[in-house]
Formats: sequence, C-alpha cells, structure tokens
Amino acid sequence: MIEKGKISGMQMGFMMYPTVVSTAILMVPSVTEKYAHNDLWISTLLASLVGFISMYIAYQLHRLYPNQTVIQYSVHIIPRLAGKVLGLLFLFFYLHSTGAVVREYADFISDAFLPQTPMIFIASSLLLLSAFSVRYGVESVARSAFIFTIIFAFPVIFLLLLIPDLTPGNILPVMEHGILPSLRGAIVPQSWFSEFFMISFFLPFLSDIRKGRKWGLISVFAAMISLTTINLTILLLFGDRVSGMSYPVLNAFRYIRMGVFFENFEAIIMAIWILGNFVKVSVFYYSASLGLAQWLNLKDIKPVVLPLGILIIIFAYWSLPSFQDVTYYLTGTFAYYGPLMQTIIPACLLSIAFVRRKRPSSS
Amino acid sequence: MKWGTFIGVMVIIAAIFAYEWPRMKQLPKKDKAAFIALLSIGWILTLFDLQNMAGPATVLETIFKPFSKLLDTR
Repeated sequence: MIEKGKISGMQMGFMMYPTVVSTAILMVPSVTEKYAHNDLWISTLLASLVGFISMYIAYQLHRLYPNQTVIQYSVHIIPRLAGKVLGLLFLFFYLHSTGAVVREYADFISDAFLPQTPMIFIASSLLLLSAFSVRYGVESVARSAFIFTIIFAFPVIFLLLLIPDLTPGNILPVMEHGILPSLRGAIVPQSWFSEFFMISFFLPFLSDIRKGRKWGLISVFAAMISLTTINLTILLLFGDRVSGMSYPVLNAFRYIRMGVFFENFEAIIMAIWILGNFVKVSVFYYSASLGLAQWLNLKDIKPVVLPLGILIIIFAYWSLPSFQDVTYYLTGTFAYYGPLMQTIIPACLLSIAFVRRKRPSSS
Repeated sequence: MKWGTFIGVMVIIAAIFAYEWPRMKQLPKKDKAAFIALLSIGWILTLFDLQNMAGPATVLETIFKPFSKLLDTR
C-alpha cells in the first residue's frame, strides 16, 4: 500500500468543506444571479443534490471495493485496459482541475489585492506549500485541513455585521418565473458540489468507515448551508446589482464598516480565505498524486509530487490567456465536465459493479 | 520563447532533482523512471508558448459546446 497514514472521518469532512466552498464563494453568487435572478438561493439548494448523490456513489463504490480508490477499482469493475484508460481520464481530470483551481486563486489575488506581483509567482508559491504538505502524505493534509477549516469557517460570523444593511424585500417575488430559472442557475454550482466524489481518494484511509459516511453528509450539508447563506446575504445586500460584480462576496466584506475606524475587513478575509484555498489545492493535488502513483503501481507517492507541480502550473495556463477565458472555462466547460467525470461516470461504474456482484451469487 | 522562462524552468527542475534524487535511493527503478519522465514532460511543455496555444481546455470546450449553448455564458 502506497499510503500508510490513517485519518478520522471528522478530518475527512473538514477537508471536503473548503474543497467545495473556498472557490465557490468567489464565482457562484454572480453566476447564479445571472440565470436565477432573485431566486439564486434556491439554485444552491438544488445544486447540493448533486453533492449528496456524488458522495453516496463514492461511498457505495467503496463498500463494494474496500481499501481501494477509484483508480484501483475501475480496473476491477470494467475490463483491465478500459479501466486503465478510465484511470488516465480521471488523472487528467484531477490534474487539469488542480491547474484551474490554482489559476482561479492566482487570478483573484492578483486582480483584487496584488496587481503588481507576477501571477505565476502567486500561483507557484501556494502550489509549493501544498506540495510539501502532500509529500508527507494524507495525515499532514488532513491535519492542516482540520485546523485551517475551523479558521476558514469563521468569517461567516462577520457576515452578521451586515444585518443592518440588508433589504429583506429583495427576496420577493419568490419563483416569479417558476422553477426553471433556479434550475438554470444551479448548473454551475452543481459542478462544485460534484467534487464531493473526491472522498473516494480518502475513504480507504479512514480508521472508521461508518463515521466517514456521517461526516461526508455533514460536510455536504454544511457546504449547502454556507453557500445558500452567502447567496442570500449577497441578494439582500445588493439586489439586482450583483450581476455587474466579478467578486460579490469581496464587495460585501468591503461594505462592512463599524463606527468610523473599523473597516477594510477584506484584508483579514483574504488571509483567511487563502487558508481555505490551501486546503482545496492540497486535497486536489493529493488526489492527483496518489492517483498517478496507483495508476503506475509505484511504491511511493513522493517521487511524483514535485514533478506533478510543474504539470499543474502548465495546466493552469495552457490555452487560457486571460481571466475571461478562465471564467468561460469554469462556467461553460467545467460545469458539465466536472459532473460527467465525478457523478455520471461513477454512477455507471456503480451500476456495472452491482450487476457483476449479483451475477455469481444467483448462478 | 523567452530566455528568462527557460532559465527559470531549468533552475526549478534542477532544484527538484537535487532535492528528490538523494531521497529515493531505495525505491525501485520504476519510481525513478516515473520521476524522470514527469520532469522531462514538464520541461518539454514549458518550451512552448502554451498560454496562446490550443490545448486540453480548447478540446474540452469544443466537446462541451452543445451543452454550454444551453446557458450561453460568453
């Protein structure tokens, strides 16, 4: 076995929460507002359904093939060669997604806070930090995630400071044009929720598998509540002005002002948000490295981690020259690519596995 | 291609090699081969002007174009 570490179910839940929420809070409010208008908070509720489904599929697959990740059991479920090809597709997907996450992070930091710093430096410094965390295995990723997620969830309390500025009337009329606009708005956030399938890479290292299901559910539920609360706050604060903003959550935190001296909250928020992004990048980076080591049947994960970092940086920039291209990639392509790889293909694997499991016992 | 990028990438690859190679003495040949192959792929790819080249993201955008028309995000 490549990985010798063990993590608890709670640590896994704490890892998955920022993996979904940290980048979703940047783009999801403005994107959902574009299609769902003042029903944007229903969109995240609907989108979370994909999160529950993906998590359930990963859990059921793990029960059929215990102590194996998706890269390992795909060669057992479908013919060996096809399984290897599917494994390569998964590796490519996670490598490319890590690149996209790093790029999203670097774009945001350089756009909002550090316009003079070369973007490649912002991207590679975060990646280098994650690389060292990943090199030390699943335990170091899980423990850093545990500490950082507690700090990361803290800013939601700051949102309470906005209560005097909210206009509850912005929520009306609810479902003016039926459920269809909310469904269209849910297409983009559900690709974030589909990332809960990544628990497939961590379930084999759990010390108690039943706790894994419980904490997985808690994690999806917490992500749903957080994103819905944030969307609702943004709606009540800005109304229909949201669609013109690229980072509405940042604008909301800039809005906070206590007295005449306590302002510019967004600097603290950014520092906290980077912690969440570090967890997200290390979870993705770990999945890609572990997947590659298992796909090649290596003895250790360490040799592939740092070289993969170079490939991740390459994927972060390959044919994505500007911020507009990144946004288009995430909303126009990843919104379908993510659920295809993390919900639909695993669902097919699960149904094939069920059929194959049934056959020998009945005959 | 710019010389700055070329030299920068060479320095990073040399640093990774110097850091990792002494630590993987006991590992089998396959692990060493994977390490060197990945570094070489990374090095070769950085020789191109990737940012303005068609790549995996372009391929995926073409594949998912029929779906993205549903939302018309551009």
